[in-house]
Amino acid sequence: MLRSDQILATVEMIQKENLDVRTVTMGINLLDCRSGSVAQTCENIEERIAGKAGKFVETCNLVSRKLGIPVVNKRISITPISLVGAGYSRDDFVELARCLDRAATSVGVDILGGFSAQVEKGMTETDRQYILSLPEALAVSEKVCASINIASSQKGINMDALAMLGQTVKDIAEYTRHQNGFGAAKFVVFCNQPGDNPFMAGAIHGIEEADTVLNVGVSGPGVIARSLEKLISTRSDNGGSLKLDEIAEDIKQTTFRVTRCGELVGRQVSDLLGVQFGVVDLSLAPTPTVGDSVGEILHILGVDAIGAPGSTAILAMLNDAVKKGGIFASKTVGGLSGAFIPVMEDAVLAEAVGSKHLCLEKLEAMTCVCSVGLDMVAIPGSVDGDTIAAIIADEMALGMVNNKTTAARLIPVPGKEVGDSVSFGGLFGASPIMEIRNVGKSSRFIGWGGRIPAPIHSFKN
Amino acid sequence: MSKQMIISIMSKDRTGIIADVTGAIFELGGDLADLNQSVLCGYLTMILFASFDEEIRAGQVIDRINRIDSPTALDVVAREVEDVDRTDTGLPQKTYIMTSQGANRKGLVYGISSFCYHNDINILDLATTIQGDTYTMVLQLDLSRVASIVDLRTALQNYARQNDLQIILQHHDLFKVTNEIPF
Repeated sequence: MLRSDQILATVEMIQKENLDVRTVTMGINLLDCRSGSVAQTCENIEERIAGKAGKFVETCNLVSRKLGIPVVNKRISITPISLVGAGYSRDDFVELARCLDRAATSVGVDILGGFSAQVEKGMTETDRQYILSLPEALAVSEKVCASINIASSQKGINMDALAMLGQTVKDIAEYTRHQNGFGAAKFVVFCNQPGDNPFMAGAIHGIEEADTVLNVGVSGPGVIARSLEKLISTRSDNGGSLKLDEIAEDIKQTTFRVTRCGELVGRQVSDLLGVQFGVVDLSLAPTPTVGDSVGEILHILGVDAIGAPGSTAILAMLNDAVKKGGIFASKTVGGLSGAFIPVMEDAVLAEAVGSKHLCLEKLEAMTCVCSVGLDMVAIPGSVDGDTIAAIIADEMALGMVNNKTTAARLIPVPGKEVGDSVSFGGLFGASPIMEIRNVGKSSRFIGWGGRIPAPIHSFKN
Repeated sequence: MSKQMIISIMSKDRTGIIADVTGAIFELGGDLADLNQSVLCGYLTMILFASFDEEIRAGQVIDRINRIDSPTALDVVAREVEDVDRTDTGLPQKTYIMTSQGANRKGLVYGISSFCYHNDINILDLATTIQGDTYTMVLQLDLSRVASIVDLRTALQNYARQNDLQIILQHHDLFKVTNEIPF
């Protein structure tokens, strides 16, 4: 039998430290659902999703009950919809969003991602129609998440698409004004978007994937925070010193255990459903729950205010240790795999925005060393589209040059300004509005259009 | 033809007990197959499985062990057994770990073990610790004869509430993956 202390440590991880499997996401290929009419395509899509995911939620719950570990979200990702709806109009895409919402509801998943397009080099007319559909599509659907890849290290940044998206983000928020612009929380702009990320809003079922695949996202900021607190207090009680490399080692070992839980759940669900297992995404995904925060880890590791000098260095160490611990624990790793710093979804980060310790520029610097980017940042509703586009452009440049995924999920909250707060509830969280400096000073840059060419180090052949 | 025997020893713990006992078995021509031992509060208990020639009787084994020149008293039981299945099939598929924590009081182990008995659950292993006033039990259970894990969890929740205990039931696999590296 395992030792009692090992058993109790695992029980504590789950019961007291918020360890859960954050998401099991089923990726479903819809490429062959395209038909002559939108109505027929919708019918094909609903039939495909019901056929593949009909027992998905039930099976996740079964495995969760069997093992005694919560599986918080059951989600679906689909082939980027702009490919499925090739040749369709704006209104047709809105219809597809409605159909996806129905399909997601009928199989009981929490959310569905993949209302997406990939335009990092250029846009087709279908892509333009897709972008035009976004404000209405995200307003008429509840469970559908959208994402768009507009940049990559290989192809550069599509600035024409970016120019459209600045205003589109504002329009999405405006269409959901009655929900404080919640629609924008379901839309994310990417550089180097992975095709096997199980987390929302950016999950897609990439065209490189098999017909159906299961990807798992583990969580665990709370587990790491409690483990570090224990390590620090034990060492201090013993009068011993503690160095950062020892702290990194503790994070690695904790992440190993967290990842193994995710792998176990994912593989059991995948066996029961007869679906190929994809990857474990080794991300530290915070939730608004107290004690489940990445910001709290930064506090524990020595910065008294999130955003203070040192925050980026700590985050870099945390991100790296999480990957090192997780890689050994899982047979296949993928997705985003890094620490998330979604402001609204992390109570400590949100508080740092309110106290003005964390500004947009520092947040941007921190995104250089972790995944995924400027995530869930509530900004004043009055910020213009070009400024939003330029903020996204900066974030895309970081990803492009550093060969990493970056993303921007900005929420220009209609009618709200700095000093106000916004709350979406549940996992989407709450936050004060973050100040945007130098508003309205980037329009000439955005006005150029065209492409920012791929960086020199992308030419590797 | 050989004879199989289960032998159990209890003694105040000291160095050399296993050497003394296995030496005695060796002298009697015994072939030791399995041995398990544990120490609790300074006392050692050991259970052995050994094979002997047909003519050796359990009484002879007890006599030989009693004749060991031991500074501690050795309490010995030996029993001849038949048809012992020694195929190691590993743990049953439905092996679960139950942990129970609560304020220390009399009857806690009795209560939990009775709950298991009434629900047709076999206890494979049990370890308890006390830290301050908190009594912790860790049980390895075989739930092969439990029809519904959902009903069992409900019954367990009720039991925990009635007895002011924190009881958690999770599959053994979860502990294996978080504590062991597969090879």
